[in-house]
Amino acid sequence: MTLFFQNKTNRIWCLAVAGLLIFNVWNIVSNTPMVPDQHWAQKIFYVHVPSAWVGFLSYLVVMIAGIMFFIKGDDKWDDVGLAAAEIGTLFMALVLITGPIWATPIWGKPWIWEPRLTTTLILFLIYIGYFMMRSFGGHIERIRRYAAAVGIIAFVDVPIIFVSVQFWVPEIQSHPQVEMAQQPSGILIPFLLSLGIFTILYILMMRYRIHVIRIKNMGVENV
Amino acid sequence: MFLVLLKKELYNEFRSRELILSMLVFGLSIILAYAFTSDVSRVIVANYAPGMFWAMILFVTVLGIHRSFSYEKEMDAFSMLIAAPIDRGLIYLSKWISGFIFLTVMELIVTIPFFKFLLIDFPPNPLMALGTALFINLAIMAVASLVSGVAMRARLSEVLLPVLMFPLVSPVIIAATKISGGIMAGDHYQLWQIWLLIIGSIIVIFGLVGYTLFDFITEE
Repeated sequence: MTLFFQNKTNRIWCLAVAGLLIFNVWNIVSNTPMVPDQHWAQKIFYVHVPSAWVGFLSYLVVMIAGIMFFIKGDDKWDDVGLAAAEIGTLFMALVLITGPIWATPIWGKPWIWEPRLTTTLILFLIYIGYFMMRSFGGHIERIRRYAAAVGIIAFVDVPIIFVSVQFWVPEIQSHPQVEMAQQPSGILIPFLLSLGIFTILYILMMRYRIHVIRIKNMGVENV
Repeated sequence: MFLVLLKKELYNEFRSRELILSMLVFGLSIILAYAFTSDVSRVIVANYAPGMFWAMILFVTVLGIHRSFSYEKEMDAFSMLIAAPIDRGLIYLSKWISGFIFLTVMELIVTIPFFKFLLIDFPPNPLMALGTALFINLAIMAVASLVSGVAMRARLSEVLLPVLMFPLVSPVIIAATKISGGIMAGDHYQLWQIWLLIIGSIIVIFGLVGYTLFDFITEE
């Protein structure tokens, strides 16, 4: 199996995504309007929300990969699940970092038990457990099955966690309850662009990570 | 077949009494720790009591469920159990219901010292408190039994079990604290009924997911 960057198409993909990311930063900084009362803090919204989208999308992929692994019994689905779990957790960590950065000037404190942030934190902790299990859980065949099960259980738990936290602290509604369709085009278009670029980045990261995991697995099998 | 498996679990326990006894002693130790560390006004302790109670139950559950599955590890009994021509989902159901019974027995015993040592008044409606506690126990055990099924045969299962279980069970703990807090304060049922719905949905969802997944998890 060749290395990922030995393939010309992959190199072009990588350069294109890097270009898109640079364009995205420039677009956010230069072409988006300043929101009254929030100023520069609001700019983080163009990174925070797409990161959350990619994180949850990734965890959905983990669940689908888990179901497919159980149905098909093919290890390829475990590779997909592992890659999605790693990338999802990376983006969830970004959400948990950018959220407090935005919240500190706006709410006056870095953390409140807002339903979406809390759900993200709980999911993040579940996935820390997921990686601990994968790292020192024991026999690889069993761990693949357990990992698939945890991926399914974690995603099934998401709506329950969200609803519980929402009712737990109903007075906390400080998170911007925005209807994106009602936003002026100056905000909406750069936001959608950022969302699209993050999704493309996610696809590239998934392809790369699955490739690396398969090479690693081949090495393990040949030992 | 479910009844046979349940009987096996109950017979194991009532012969050794290891599980309930260890859960009970651990629960009492936590209450003592609470008593020593919460030397503040009775009103403040009473306000925190529902959360303290369910946190204690959570810790005790981890101990109990880990022990329950550890039995199966000894002499590789679990491999023999899953080699039997039975629906493996029933193994999950038997673990769930037996765990629920053990937890409820332990809870009934430990409740009196909890209220007496922490100098808290009993809830105004004990029957309602008991009924909701049964419902909550069912939800805690639905999640705990499923997570145990995943973590049990992994290496370092005693570490993995709480790490995986605590975040997953957090909606149950939030709901349990709200329900018990409402009952302790004498609030009308309508003020906390939403939490019963959440507990009910957890029982249904985790029951179905556990029953379905157990077959795949336990595959050899």
